[in-house]
Amino acid sequence: MSAFQDARTLPRDTVLTPDLAIVGGGPAGIALALAMAQAGRSILLLESGAESFEAPTQKLYEGGESGVPYIALDGGRLRFLGGSTNHWGGWCRPLDEIDFERRDTLPHSGWPFARSEIEPYFARAQALVEAGPWIYDESGTTVSEKGPVLQLGTGGVYTTWFQFSKTLGGVLPTHFGERYREDLKRAPGLSPLLNANVTGIRLSRDGGHVDRLDIATLSGNRLTVKPRCTVLAAGAIENARLLLASNDVMKAGVGNGNDLVGRFFADHPIPRNVATLVVFDGKLAPIYSNSQTVAEGAVMRAALSPRQEFLRVQGLAGSLTTVENPVKLDAFGTATVVTTAQALGVEASSARAFSLGCGMEMAPDPERRITLGAERDALGMPVSNLHMTVSDDDFAHFRQTLAELGRQLLAAKAGMIHLTYRQRHEWMAGMDWGNHHLGTTRMSADPKRGVVDADSKVHGIANLYIAGSSVFPTYGSSNPTLNLVALTLRLADRLKKVLA
Amino acid sequence: MKRRNVLAGLAIAAAGLATGAAWKFRLFGKHYPRTPYDDLLGQITDREPAILFGRAAAKSLPDTASLAADLRRDGRTLAIRAAAEPVAGRVREVDGWLVPQSVAQYAALAALATPPAAP
Repeated sequence: MSAFQDARTLPRDTVLTPDLAIVGGGPAGIALALAMAQAGRSILLLESGAESFEAPTQKLYEGGESGVPYIALDGGRLRFLGGSTNHWGGWCRPLDEIDFERRDTLPHSGWPFARSEIEPYFARAQALVEAGPWIYDESGTTVSEKGPVLQLGTGGVYTTWFQFSKTLGGVLPTHFGERYREDLKRAPGLSPLLNANVTGIRLSRDGGHVDRLDIATLSGNRLTVKPRCTVLAAGAIENARLLLASNDVMKAGVGNGNDLVGRFFADHPIPRNVATLVVFDGKLAPIYSNSQTVAEGAVMRAALSPRQEFLRVQGLAGSLTTVENPVKLDAFGTATVVTTAQALGVEASSARAFSLGCGMEMAPDPERRITLGAERDALGMPVSNLHMTVSDDDFAHFRQTLAELGRQLLAAKAGMIHLTYRQRHEWMAGMDWGNHHLGTTRMSADPKRGVVDADSKVHGIANLYIAGSSVFPTYGSSNPTLNLVALTLRLADRLKKVLA
Repeated sequence: MKRRNVLAGLAIAAAGLATGAAWKFRLFGKHYPRTPYDDLLGQITDREPAILFGRAAAKSLPDTASLAADLRRDGRTLAIRAAAEPVAGRVREVDGWLVPQSVAQYAALAALATPPAAP
């Protein structure tokens, strides 16, 4: 087993000239590297970290924050080979059609293409994240073997399905660096380079293309990369930071002629214990509260999602609600359940209650953004500052979906729900985050509305592309990894033509 | 007729009489002071939990007489209304609980019409 090449050991001022430089060895960077390596081109995969966690490298992620409380910038992501797949939960679900649509009720929403554009890449993305056969909402009888689907009256909410990434031996989930280490070493034309931090994107004098990348190591070494094409795949915070900090030719930063780089940052708010679900007969299939292996070997879990038509008609953002833990009702709750069940003529002496959690979609907000701070990291790079927001509408949208779920449970005489939060401070007190960094280099066909075009190329720069969820202009509520890998495989097909 | 058959018949008859008396004179059920709304409140299966829930529901509903008038005007039973209302989108939120509108109304009436227990 050979070792990866280490930037610290290369002669100072070495100049590397690959066809393609990929900045970042997370799921997007690794998926792109493996896909491009099959095209007979020289690929340089630049990873800031090593093969495992090292504190000095992780410290490069530190930054400042303002606005609503959010996870520390060095806390929600990992800076070594495999990136944040080294701590992801493995939750997978494709984005829905509506996530790509421009909605009048959701300002700044819409992708420059429909979901059908990335559908051809889902199968390969599913294989890379090792989430088993593609089942999801096409589950049919497959998951019904794990218990009955929760009965809901006709309406806006339905049971949808997550699948989970898994590695051989049942270890959850796939850590891209560990899983694809040998593939990266074996791939012809592919040269992963560890401990290689990109500290600057240097443009040609006219600003029309990337001339070179500055590389630095924490040990003090300096290298230069002069690629034909560059793809930033360093995550939504670092992609924005690197573009903004590379301001020697374009004073506002690379690709930032319209002041969009860093704006529209998003994550999935995960408020805990948002509601209590009561099932009158006490029978809730375990697949609602825990992942289960189904007949085809896929690991799945049920969630409750608003239907796309419901979102369109009601003008709401998406959400995915999951059953969390059994809970005990207080006297008032018990009285409410007894009274309601008796009025409905339903036996509820075996009723059980469960707390609900969720992942919410945020509305795009240009003021939720990454900027550069005054402080500098160990490599001399300005640190990131995040201004975080959550709007009252984000909570109101989700509450409306929960209320619809409650109505449908009553209509089916299957159960009822209690909504835990009403006030903003109540939502915030129970808040967690998905660590799904999205949106800072958003995609749009219009340079005034997006940093990259529909091919993920930075507007106005001939040979600079961006991969990963930083290009998501509307976020959906699905976990991003599967989707960003699919989008990256689409980018690989574009790049194969560009580099042919 | 055998004597044991006669005894069995008498036992069944006695049990029937006892059950009838218990029902007629409400020997074993909970007793509530009579109210002008017993035609409505009689539809509530178990009034104790309804009163507990109803105290919260009553905060956002009209006074007792108006509430009773509304329920009588509707004319449908609690059971029919409770089943139909969620389908038609008529649910009410009471301290975070989503319930059919009529459940909140009947429970509120029970709470309003029942004097608080003596301390």
